[in-house]
Amino acid sequence: MFFILLKKELFVEFRSREVTLSMLVFGLSIILTFAFSSNVSPTIIANYAPGMFWIMVLFVAVIGVHRSFSYEKEFDAFSMLISAPIDRGFIFLSKWISGFIFLTIMEALIIIPFFKFLMIDFPSQPWIAIGTTMLINCAIMAIASLVSGIAMRARLSEVLLPVLLFPLVSPVIIAATKISGSIMAGDPFSFWQIWLLIVLTVIVIFGLVGYTLFDFIAEE
Amino acid sequence: MPAVLTVSNISKSFDRRPILKDISFTLHQGETIVLMGKNGVGKSTLLRILARIMACDGGQISFQNKDLLKGSPCDRHKLLYLGHAPAMYTTLSAKENIKLALTLRGMTVGLSEIQNQLNYFGIGTQSNDPISIYSQGMLQRLKLAYAELVNWNLLLIDEPFSGLDTDGVGLVETALHRWKEIGKSLILVLHNQSRAKEFGDRILYIQNGSIE
Amino acid sequence: MKIFLNNKTNRTWFVLIIAMMLFNVWNVIVNTPMVPEQHWAQKIFYVHVPSAWVGFLSYFVVMVAGIMFFIKKDDHWDDVGLAAAELGTVFMALVLITGPIWATPIWGKPWIWEPRLTTTLILFLIYIGYFMMRSFGGHVERVKRYAAALGIIAFVDVPIIFVSVKFWTPEIQSHPQVEMAQQPSGILTSFLLSLGIFTLLYALMLTYKIHVIRIKNNVGSNV
Repeated sequence: MFFILLKKELFVEFRSREVTLSMLVFGLSIILTFAFSSNVSPTIIANYAPGMFWIMVLFVAVIGVHRSFSYEKEFDAFSMLISAPIDRGFIFLSKWISGFIFLTIMEALIIIPFFKFLMIDFPSQPWIAIGTTMLINCAIMAIASLVSGIAMRARLSEVLLPVLLFPLVSPVIIAATKISGSIMAGDPFSFWQIWLLIVLTVIVIFGLVGYTLFDFIAEE
Repeated sequence: MPAVLTVSNISKSFDRRPILKDISFTLHQGETIVLMGKNGVGKSTLLRILARIMACDGGQISFQNKDLLKGSPCDRHKLLYLGHAPAMYTTLSAKENIKLALTLRGMTVGLSEIQNQLNYFGIGTQSNDPISIYSQGMLQRLKLAYAELVNWNLLLIDEPFSGLDTDGVGLVETALHRWKEIGKSLILVLHNQSRAKEFGDRILYIQNGSIE
Repeated sequence: MKIFLNNKTNRTWFVLIIAMMLFNVWNVIVNTPMVPEQHWAQKIFYVHVPSAWVGFLSYFVVMVAGIMFFIKKDDHWDDVGLAAAELGTVFMALVLITGPIWATPIWGKPWIWEPRLTTTLILFLIYIGYFMMRSFGGHVERVKRYAAALGIIAFVDVPIIFVSVKFWTPEIQSHPQVEMAQQPSGILTSFLLSLGIFTLLYALMLTYKIHVIRIKNNVGSNV
C-alpha cells in the first residue's frame, strides 16, 4: 500500500511539477540573494557555505511540504486517502519519502549553480558529501512532513509551518552544517561521526513518531 | 434484517458550539435513510464523521458489527462516502483518479471498464482531461461512475442531485433505484421532500443537533 | 480563585505552600553561604535551576497528557495538556530571564550558547508556536489533537536538541550544579529544599490552572 501511495505522490507531481518547480525557483532566488548579500572574500564565503546551503534547503523544504500538503485540500482530495481502508501511517510515509525525493532532485539541479555563483570549490570526496546530504534530507523531511501534517488543516498554516518547524529541526541543521563543513574541510570521519548519529536518530525517531501520530491527526 | 450501521450518541462541536448532540440511529441491511434539515444543521458533518474523515467529540459507530472509530482501517472496506467535493486530484484525469481511488481500496479494475462507466454517465469523451476543468455536473457524474465501480455495501452520499441537468438527474434516479433493488444500504442527504419520500425508507430530520 | 479555595484541601495546600515559599526566599537570602567570586548573583541559582526543572517537568506532563488524550479521547487530558503547557512556558521564561542575570557576572556576558540554556530557548520557541496554533489554528476541537501531537514531538525532540547543542559548543562549561558534590553542604540542602518547594508550587499551580480552564470551557459551551 505504501508503494501505491508513493507512486501516487510521484505521479501527481510528474503531472503538475508544482512542488519541484517551486522548490527549484525559490532555491535559485535564495542563492542569488546570498551571492549579493555576501560580497566578501572567498575564504569567508567558503566557511559560511555549509550554513548557507542548509538554510536554503530548509526554506525550500518548507515551500515543498507546504505545497505537497495544500494540493491535497483542493477538491477535498485528502478525503480519498483518509477514508480509504488503509493505515494512515502510510500516508505519512509516502509524503515523507516523496518529499525526500523531490528535495534531492532539487538539490541535484541546484548544486552546481550554488558552487559556481558563490565561487566555492567542490568537495574532494563528492560521494561522501552526496551520501550524507541525502541522509540529512531524509531527516529534515521526516520532521517537515510531520509538522506539515499537523499544520495543514489549521488556519494560518503557512505561518505556523515555519514557526513550528525551525526550532524542531534545529538539531538537524546543526548536525548538517557540521557534517558538510567537515567534509568540505576534509576532516576524518571520526570528527563528524557523532553528527551522523544524530541525523540517523532523527530519521528513526521522527519516522516512528510520525507513523504513529498520523492516524490521530489526519482526520479533519 | 441485520443492522449494517449503528450510530450511538455521536456529538460534535465547532468552537464549543454543539452541532450534533447525541445522534443515534440504526440502519438495517437494504434500507435507505434520508437525512434532511436546514443548511448548516450538520448533515454533511454527520456523513463525514461516519466516513472517518472528520473526528467526532464522542460516541460510537459500529459498521457490520465492528467498531468503526477504534477498529482497523479494513473494517470500513465496504463503506463508501461521496461528498460535495469529488475527493479527487485536480491534476489527474477522470480515469486516473478512479483507477487510483480503486487501487487504494484494494481493487483492480481495467481501464476499459472504467471508460465504459464514464461513457454511461456521459463524460466518456472527457475521460482523459484533468478534472480541474470539469463543471459541477460533470464532477457529480464522475462520482457516480466511481460509485458504480466500487464494491460497497453502504453508500453515504451528500446531495446526489446537485448541479445536474435533466439527463443527469435521470441517471442518478436510475442508479439509486437499482442500488435499492439489489439490497444495498444507503444514507442520502436530500433537500427535496418528494425525492426524499421516493427514495427513503425512513426520513430523519435533524434539528438543533438532534434527530426529530 | 474563590471557588478553588472553597475546597478545604486546596485551601490547606495553598496556605502551606505560600508559607513554604516565603520560608524558601528567607532561607536563600539569609541562610545560604556566599560563594566567594559570585557574590549575590549566585543566589539566583536557587530560582533558576528549580524553574528549569519545573519547566521541563511541565513539558513532560504535556507529552503524557497528549498521549493520554489520544488513547482515552477524553477532553480532561486536553485541559491538563494546555495547563501544563502554559505553566511550562511561564517557568521557561523565568529560566531565560534569570539565566542572563546569573551569567553576566560569571561569564562576563549575558548570553552564552550553553546546552541547557539553548535547549530551553529552543523549547520555548516551539511552545510559542504551540500557543499560536492554539489561538489561531481554527476550531478548538480540531486544534486539540494537533496540540497533543505537538506536545509529544516537542518533548521527543528535547534529548536530540540537547545532545546536538552540547556537541555544537563543546568548549562551553556546563552549569556549576554539575559539580554539586563539591559544594558546601549549606548550598546543597537549601538547593534541594528550594527544588522541592518549587515542585510543590508547580503541582498547586497545575491543579488551579486545570480548574480555571474547566470553568472557562463550561462558560464557553453555555453561550
